[in-house]
Amino acid sequence: MFDDFVDRSNLLSFQLSNGPTDGQSRLAIPALQAKKNTILVSHGRPPWYAEDGQRITDAFVIGVAGGSASGKTHVARQIVRKLGSIPTVIILSQDSFYKYHNEEELKLAHANMLDFDHPDAIDMPIFAACLADLKACKQSNIPIYSFQEHQRLVETKYLYGATIIIAEGIMSLVDPALRALYDLKVFVQCDSDVMLARRIKRDVKERGRDVDGIIDQYLRYVKPSYDTFVRPSSSYADIIVPGSNNDVAIDLICTHIREKLQERSSTFRQKIAVPLKYMSPRSGASTPESFLEDLHLTLLPQTWQVQGIYTILRDRTTSRQDFIFFADRLSTLLVECALQHLPYAPKMVVTPIDIESHGKKMDAKYVCGVTILRSGGALERGFRRVINDVPVGSMLIQSDSKSGEAMLLHLMLPNYVRFRHLAQQAYIFLLDSQIGTAAAAFMAIRILLDHGVPEDHIIFITFIVSREGGILVLKRAFPGVKIVCGAVDDEMQEGWLEGYKGEGNPEGNGRQVWVIKPGMGQIGVISYYHFHFHSVHVLRR
Amino acid sequence: MSATNADAAPLAPPLPAKAVNDNRAHMNPLPPSVFTLPQTAQLEALYTIIRSKETSRGDFLFYSDRIIRLLVEEGLNHLPVVARTIETPTGATYNGVGFQGKICGVSILRAGEAMEAGLREVCRSVRIGKILIQRDEDTALPKLFYSKFPQDIASRYVLLLDPMLATGGSAMKAVEVIMEHGVPEERIIFINLIAAPEGLKAFCTRFPSLKVITGWIDEGLNEKAYIIPGLGDFGERSFETVAEASQGSSRLYM
Repeated sequence: MFDDFVDRSNLLSFQLSNGPTDGQSRLAIPALQAKKNTILVSHGRPPWYAEDGQRITDAFVIGVAGGSASGKTHVARQIVRKLGSIPTVIILSQDSFYKYHNEEELKLAHANMLDFDHPDAIDMPIFAACLADLKACKQSNIPIYSFQEHQRLVETKYLYGATIIIAEGIMSLVDPALRALYDLKVFVQCDSDVMLARRIKRDVKERGRDVDGIIDQYLRYVKPSYDTFVRPSSSYADIIVPGSNNDVAIDLICTHIREKLQERSSTFRQKIAVPLKYMSPRSGASTPESFLEDLHLTLLPQTWQVQGIYTILRDRTTSRQDFIFFADRLSTLLVECALQHLPYAPKMVVTPIDIESHGKKMDAKYVCGVTILRSGGALERGFRRVINDVPVGSMLIQSDSKSGEAMLLHLMLPNYVRFRHLAQQAYIFLLDSQIGTAAAAFMAIRILLDHGVPEDHIIFITFIVSREGGILVLKRAFPGVKIVCGAVDDEMQEGWLEGYKGEGNPEGNGRQVWVIKPGMGQIGVISYYHFHFHSVHVLRR
Repeated sequence: MSATNADAAPLAPPLPAKAVNDNRAHMNPLPPSVFTLPQTAQLEALYTIIRSKETSRGDFLFYSDRIIRLLVEEGLNHLPVVARTIETPTGATYNGVGFQGKICGVSILRAGEAMEAGLREVCRSVRIGKILIQRDEDTALPKLFYSKFPQDIASRYVLLLDPMLATGGSAMKAVEVIMEHGVPEERIIFINLIAAPEGLKAFCTRFPSLKVITGWIDEGLNEKAYIIPGLGDFGERSFETVAEASQGSSRLYM
């Protein structure tokens, strides 16, 4: 539905930028950037983990080095384009990693007297640390360098979730720590006179600089740096690509990457949707009751009211209005019940009539909610009724229209999750309407773990869990995750969802789905359609 | 509440939930008609917030609403249900239950009014009656000043709302008035946030078949008949007005 329109700037997006001394060209880029991102990720991110919940492999990292104006950017873009339907690519530019300058250096920088073409100008340890995090599929908050202020800014840029990372910059093959991270090292070779010619043309045209100034800078910094540091680093390259007419070389690189990615891909959903078909039967214990206890679900007390609410929600004749009212009421109760999984500490307060009262307080430093769109939106209002002062993020996870595999299409996480040191202390409530195949739940939990959230700090709130579905695999992979639900249904049934012609599905193809029985139907589709559209729309702004 | 399958036989009402809670520090055993919420850490944390005098009015309303919703949900569990079979969107049959019986709320002014929002969130467009009781300065006994009920109150279950039960005087008077309008004792459910053991005992002795849903049973009353530790004046904290009449503390915790 939103596949091609969701702004995924949080998932990836780092802009291409050419060389150290031509940083101002960034200012012209924003208009191009949005377009570029849609090219980079039009298909969502398929599972990057196995049924045991562990990551299968690291991201594939390519280092691209070469002289200023040698065509590194072009090569990086061509690789992305030729790869076609790759899920997510981050292009990490060396420019972001210029060091923080003291006042003296700042003066020199403004007078164009600071040597930006020296390896020491770049904060290699941070560059390597960020790249290592991204390679290990963790989040990274990379520095932002302002070429206007010639300074590293206080803010950082959050990046997460790439299958391929291209680290690009003149010095990207110079540092041994960086080199150790690359799966493929590319050097873009270009004659000095071609590079100078391109540089003059670009600087004159884009920045209105005069030729004398450009040549002066070239001779003083760019050329010596190229000869001393950049060109010698080409000896580390796996492949040397010419700076022009390089189609064949790029084809070769792409073939190599595709092969490597193929080796790493996994088909995941079929295996977990109906685990009983894939797993050896458990010895002896086969009664559903003992089954259920093993899962350690937190089941809402089955009062008459709860049973009555479920009867209304399951009824196919229930109006949309009624459905929403009772879904809100139920989710309020579920969230209240889920709060038992937070830590509490003693607290003394004084009442208005000045009497001491010994009670408790919630003892979690950071708490936030994350909705799994679209159907998790049905729990959001209830969540807000109970916890009104915490950030709520979202993940758009939908199954691929062809393979049925869960695909991460959009990610908007609260800052408590984005920064690893906060995530390690945060408690996260994950909201989704049901756990059937558990493919979306699996992905959502993996994302939080990737960010450093401890497994036992994740509390998953849902209306229905299917006893026969993926819950078994989910609990086996992530035993520490708390699952709070209001009902446990018996069956998973294979079904077929009629497709609708629309964006991302031009032929209107239907697809295979698993439905929970008796279940509540397709919650996101029927009742919360407008609600979700609204929330996604808001997130895009 | 939607009534369905009127001809189906009503199912048995739930058993008292006392097995799972230990709200007996100040009252043990609880009278058989008293039901409390499970005494969990998170419930205690909610009470701690609303008890503190540092809590802002906005927080007071938010957190007291959360408790009230839970109390109303618990109260509704004492209404009858009938078996109901439906078809789900996936085509399966599901044996569930349907709600039965009409309800209305009656709030004891002024503080009880602050519980109406919580009731409405759980029961859409529920009818709410009001009752005002104050202490007669001459006799020192609770006196009915005003009441307004739905016309068909006699055929409904009544959720009686009063956040604080101190001596129980006004609550007992309110029940008297409601029963005078034709509602039998066992169709009244009293929804209460904090109760003093003295008041609760008096109330339950007088109306043994009237179910009381209370969130917390406190230590007791002080010489001015304030609940200890309590949370101060619920009405004042909800509406942020200090009523002239309440200055002398004459009516609030009777």
